Amino acid sequence: MKLRVENLVFAYEDFRLEVGPLVFPDARVTSVVGPNGAGKSTFLKCVASVLPAPAKTLFVDGRDLTLLRGRDRAKLVAYVPQEPSFTFNYAVLDFVLTGRAAFLPTFGAPSSHDIGLAEEALRYVGLDGHIRRSFLELSSGERRLVLIARALAQESDVLLLDEPTSFLDPRHEVETMALCRRLADGKGKTIVVTLHNLEMAAKYSDVMVFMKNGRVVASGPPRETLSEPLLRDVYNLDMRIVECAGQMFFAK
Amino acid sequence: MSGSANKSSGWLVWAAFALPVVLLVLSLNLGSYPIPLKAVWTTLTHGSAAGPAAAPSPYADILFRVRLPRLLLALFAGAALAVSGASLQALFQNPLVFEFSLGISYGAAFGAALSLVFLGRGFPPQLAAFAMAVLAVLLVVVIAGRSASGIVPILLSGIIVSALFQALLSLVEFMANPYALQALIFWLMGSLSQAAWGDLTLTLPVIGLGVVVLVLLRWRMNVLSLGDDEARALGVNVRREKALVIAVATLITAAATSVTGVINWVGLVIPHLVRMAVGADNRKVIPLSAAFGASLLIVADDIARSAASFEIPIGILTSVVGIPFFIVLLKRSGRVWR
Repeated sequence: MKLRVENLVFAYEDFRLEVGPLVFPDARVTSVVGPNGAGKSTFLKCVASVLPAPAKTLFVDGRDLTLLRGRDRAKLVAYVPQEPSFTFNYAVLDFVLTGRAAFLPTFGAPSSHDIGLAEEALRYVGLDGHIRRSFLELSSGERRLVLIARALAQESDVLLLDEPTSFLDPRHEVETMALCRRLADGKGKTIVVTLHNLEMAAKYSDVMVFMKNGRVVASGPPRETLSEPLLRDVYNLDMRIVECAGQMFFAK
Repeated sequence: MSGSANKSSGWLVWAAFALPVVLLVLSLNLGSYPIPLKAVWTTLTHGSAAGPAAAPSPYADILFRVRLPRLLLALFAGAALAVSGASLQALFQNPLVFEFSLGISYGAAFGAALSLVFLGRGFPPQLAAFAMAVLAVLLVVVIAGRSASGIVPILLSGIIVSALFQALLSLVEFMANPYALQALIFWLMGSLSQAAWGDLTLTLPVIGLGVVVLVLLRWRMNVLSLGDDEARALGVNVRREKALVIAVATLITAAATSVTGVINWVGLVIPHLVRMAVGADNRKVIPLSAAFGASLLIVADDIARSAASFEIPIGILTSVVGIPFFIVLLKRSGRVWR
């Protein structure tokens, strides 16, 4: 399912986000990059309804997200935050099961079908051996994978991932981005991921969206879009693009 | 979840629910006039078949008019306070929140005192208690503002609101006549001695229904405890469901407080104890809190009326036992919350 953004505007204090028209293609990985404060996370939160978006600005396969009930929207779009801020230390399986909230009535509880889906999601991200462990016992990399597993249990076609690789070591960074790639290629998910690591974004994305001061300044396939003047404009920093073994690197 | 794990936790829940019932039956023989257990059983079975008035035993009056209503109140009030505490902790993502720290206890106490002193028995104290308890929670949420899920803002707001309602309660005490004042002070210390079927016919169904609603919402509380933003992204109608939990938790606390007076610490100690035993999953925490809260208050009432030649107010007892117990819990509970 493709995600379409039409003139999305969100403002708070002295910050103003203005995005669109912009299309996030179906079954592709799109990286949203830009400096701190560019509005990447704010944009994802608007799409996920964590922050309010004006009507007729967000569409998934033509359906207006802003007019849908919460549970119907959550069946289309799943949001993976950077780090959950919960207080109570749930077991991994119980945490992933919260991804089924949109499918259950207010007074309901997960059935064996829901538990099966949560276990399958954990198996997909390679954490099926950690079902009984508590979330806080896991490493940062494992926690990110649990968050992605919860989004998979939510069975939404659009996945929004907010900086899923921040604070991860290179191995977990690569594993997380490879998982995003597999989700798009293997499961047909539309992946929108905010990133700071340009090498990762260029390597694993089909489309890159560059943001600065709340606006999109460029978007397109990495090799067609990336240029040294664009990077200088977006980051206010001189960077050289170096190619090695078919991969792009950015020298600062 | 594996089948064996489900089976073992299922047995635990059933055993936990049997505990307060067993304690209630055993407690019926305790008091200044001991009644043998066999006589308790005979009186109960004959009495319940033919009605209290037709009970053939000389113990019937003590059992049906004094001990049974008192112990039923202990069972329901203990369940209400513990379930309310566990629910509010999940909702506010804050393990230190309970009815006292949100101002509910003193709000309800003020409402009930207002009703008892100025409105007389004609006006149900439960209604006044609920109205003031709701007002207390609203004040706490408004004062804490957008930081309502933060531990410090919510506790500070609760302290402010509790202090306000304590002051208002003092004003009622100041204006009450000496006889009403004496009764009010004893009631405020927490006591089950005033339990009468007249009060219980309104209070017990309210508490029972409220506890059932919160038990049915137990899994939803796992989702709500992740915070407003995440719960909303997961498709939950956060405003509506939070309002439902707060209203029901406040209602059952107010209903209990309006009859028992102020009984603190049950809503804090029991959910922590349960979390340490079974983990943070509210599917277990909420029902088990109901069972152990009920059991705790039955045992506390047994001690209150048996430990000395006079009756110790149960609110004092739960505080004296609860505070040091909670200090120990705090040092050991880091693995289930952070």
